[in-house]
Amino acid sequence: MNKSILIVDDSESIREVVSFTLENAGYSVLISNDGKDALKFLDGRKIDLIITDLHMPEMDGISLIKEVRRNPDYTPYTRTPILFLTTESQVEKKMEAKEAGATGWIVKPFVPAKLLEALNKVMR
Amino acid sequence: MDHFQSKFVEEATELIVDLEQALLNLESNQNDKESIGLVFRVMHTLKGNSSMFGFDKIGEFTHHLETIYDFVRQGKMKLTDEIFNVTLKSVDHLSALLNDINLTDPVNKDNHVSITQQVLNIINLIGHNDLNTSSDFSGNDDDSYGLFEEASTYHIFFKPKENIFSNGTNPLFLIDELHGLGQVKAYPNLSSLPGLQQINISSSYIYWDIFLSTYKNANDISDVFIFVEDDCDLVITKLIEKNLFFNESFFQRIESLLKEKININLIDIQQIVLNTIDNTNDQVVFENVKEEKLLNVNSQTKEIRDIKDSSISSIRVSSFKIDEMMNLVSELVTSQARLSLLVEHYNIPELMAIAENMQKLSRQLRDNAFSISLIPLQSIVTRFQRLVRDLSHELKKDIEFITEGTETELDKTIIENLTDPIMHILRNSLDHGIEDAEVRTKTGKPAKGKIILSAFYSGAYVYIEVKDDGAGINPEIIREKAISKGLIAADASLTQKEIFDLVFQPGFSTAKVVTDVSGRGVGMDVVRRKISDIRGEVEIDSKIGHGTTITIKLPLTLSIIDGLLVLINDTYFILQLAAVKKIYSITHKEVQKAQRNMIILDGESIPFYYLRDEFEMGGTPFDVEQVIVVMYQDSPVGLIIDKVVGEYQAVIKPLGKHYKNQDMISGASILGDGTIALVTDTNKIIKKCSRE
Repeated sequence: MNKSILIVDDSESIREVVSFTLENAGYSVLISNDGKDALKFLDGRKIDLIITDLHMPEMDGISLIKEVRRNPDYTPYTRTPILFLTTESQVEKKMEAKEAGATGWIVKPFVPAKLLEALNKVMR
Repeated sequence: MDHFQSKFVEEATELIVDLEQALLNLESNQNDKESIGLVFRVMHTLKGNSSMFGFDKIGEFTHHLETIYDFVRQGKMKLTDEIFNVTLKSVDHLSALLNDINLTDPVNKDNHVSITQQVLNIINLIGHNDLNTSSDFSGNDDDSYGLFEEASTYHIFFKPKENIFSNGTNPLFLIDELHGLGQVKAYPNLSSLPGLQQINISSSYIYWDIFLSTYKNANDISDVFIFVEDDCDLVITKLIEKNLFFNESFFQRIESLLKEKININLIDIQQIVLNTIDNTNDQVVFENVKEEKLLNVNSQTKEIRDIKDSSISSIRVSSFKIDEMMNLVSELVTSQARLSLLVEHYNIPELMAIAENMQKLSRQLRDNAFSISLIPLQSIVTRFQRLVRDLSHELKKDIEFITEGTETELDKTIIENLTDPIMHILRNSLDHGIEDAEVRTKTGKPAKGKIILSAFYSGAYVYIEVKDDGAGINPEIIREKAISKGLIAADASLTQKEIFDLVFQPGFSTAKVVTDVSGRGVGMDVVRRKISDIRGEVEIDSKIGHGTTITIKLPLTLSIIDGLLVLINDTYFILQLAAVKKIYSITHKEVQKAQRNMIILDGESIPFYYLRDEFEMGGTPFDVEQVIVVMYQDSPVGLIIDKVVGEYQAVIKPLGKHYKNQDMISGASILGDGTIALVTDTNKIIKKCSRE
């Protein structure tokens, strides 16, 4: 069974480049364009990892992580690893995500090899 | 990667438009947190993505811009005119950068240096040194990702003393505060609650077993309870350096234990921790089991569905493909008409049923294809807002620009061809229409001028109005000017409407001084020409001292219309179905008897035109003819033709250049049997006939 990864980003180009990289590496990919949209996927289906942007309309990444981790509706995913994409060098944002319950982060821009390396570490 | 890059350019172009829009909104409403947030977010996305796809200059440049708006967002910096000017200039520059990544154009290169400097100057105003942060973009390999340590899970036994309320503390607030540290589950223990009679409402009887997973340490947790330390029993125990909230069975066990036992103690809990860990993996070393377990539970617990699914509700299609589809649909509609004709001829019932179905489907397909090619007016409004903003600064006029009904949708081609004329109209309004603040105050108007751009549907047309509350146009001045330019005879008698219409004559310009803004030799005649190119009409109305309104009337679509197919002599004509009000039968004798071109229909006397004569077609008139009643300038007018054939979806093809010097026939359509029908514009016909 392929590992299934949910990508949450409001930017189409990022979604495309990430899903392209992941699909080539043999993952199956789910795509959504913001936090609110992403929650619709959390309906019991198998999701092995969530990769989310932080700045998005409707629901931002931090709120998404909080929802997944705290809202009883998403209990099956409380322990699903969540990586967030960030360009922020500020520590605060990272701390905020950490406290929300993120598993780790990926710095934009990234090279495909590094993205896959991060995934392997998380989903080992 | 090339594919992704072009995708990025497309996306960035849209982002830049969004950014410009958000900035203009922000400027008119500077305290709008949402707009600030939006500006910041768009810049942020632009920054992140551009460096991702190798547009480093854009990345670096937006980073500086973002810094400004980050300050604004945090309240460290106030928005000023200068900031808006520089940011809007930057937005323009971003568009330029997008097409010229390496700054090969020396103009772009100079701009890049000077605008970057201006942006940095603003940043330096609050003493922030931004110059070294460009290292953010280098994508340092060692820092390209990272994982957080896992949180630890604590157990907190919290039993407030009965009198805790008396010092103003509500224990529930403390538990709320714990939620701020991480994930919390609190189990209240009601065992010491007395019977109803014995309850003292000012006493607290409840105590809690609380589980908390957090990255904070035990000190941070006890800080929450710092003010009640002496008023409660508090035991904080670190259970494990793991987040037990990821472990469903742990809480199931705790909950079943709570049902069995009134009070649970730490030994019980620790036993459960050990058991939970043991059961999912035999290893006892906690740190090592962590990741293994993570996957195990996930795959055990849930029914697995693996649907490749995407919830994106809109997709991007190149406009070329849409044009091509529209073309195919047009062809389909034409072939369908041929089919219908053939079916009529052979009269085979089965075939007829199929043909009818085909007709229904192709009509639906046509409507569908249309709605795809429609885009809202909103897509070009930002450019107008920007124009008004920049011009009003330049002319030092304070102007409020209001847009209404910008969700109105129009054919893509129409929208594309509409931008320039509207820009020109707005320029005129700003430059010649709206007076200086001084003049305005003197005449009792508010100092701030107003321009309203509104759009709305009416029948098969869309109306766009540009209305200002400026000085208005003096018809006398236009008249004089037209006479002096030889456009009209000195003694010509013209209605006010006809006088205003002169403005659209080639070579007409009323501006006393040719300013830099308008009056560059392109006049309203170009506006009219461009609008008639898209089969639209433009009219002007004005009241001295009150302002001017320019109305543009546009067809919803350009290539296919719902028409009424009629016959005069042996020529087919198509009228716009939307224009047709009623159809009456009339004998030729009645027509001949009619006086002063008026006939009485349904007790109402209406003017009519006998098209056979108007078109100089000759031939023998039918005994019974048809009167098509259409609306012309809000009143009914009859057009008499030989015979109504029926409704017809006409695919309009342009006429050749030999037919350019007339406007009664706006195009032609090929009928099913190959004959040609002429597509008429009833308004133009009536206008022409009434003049003669």
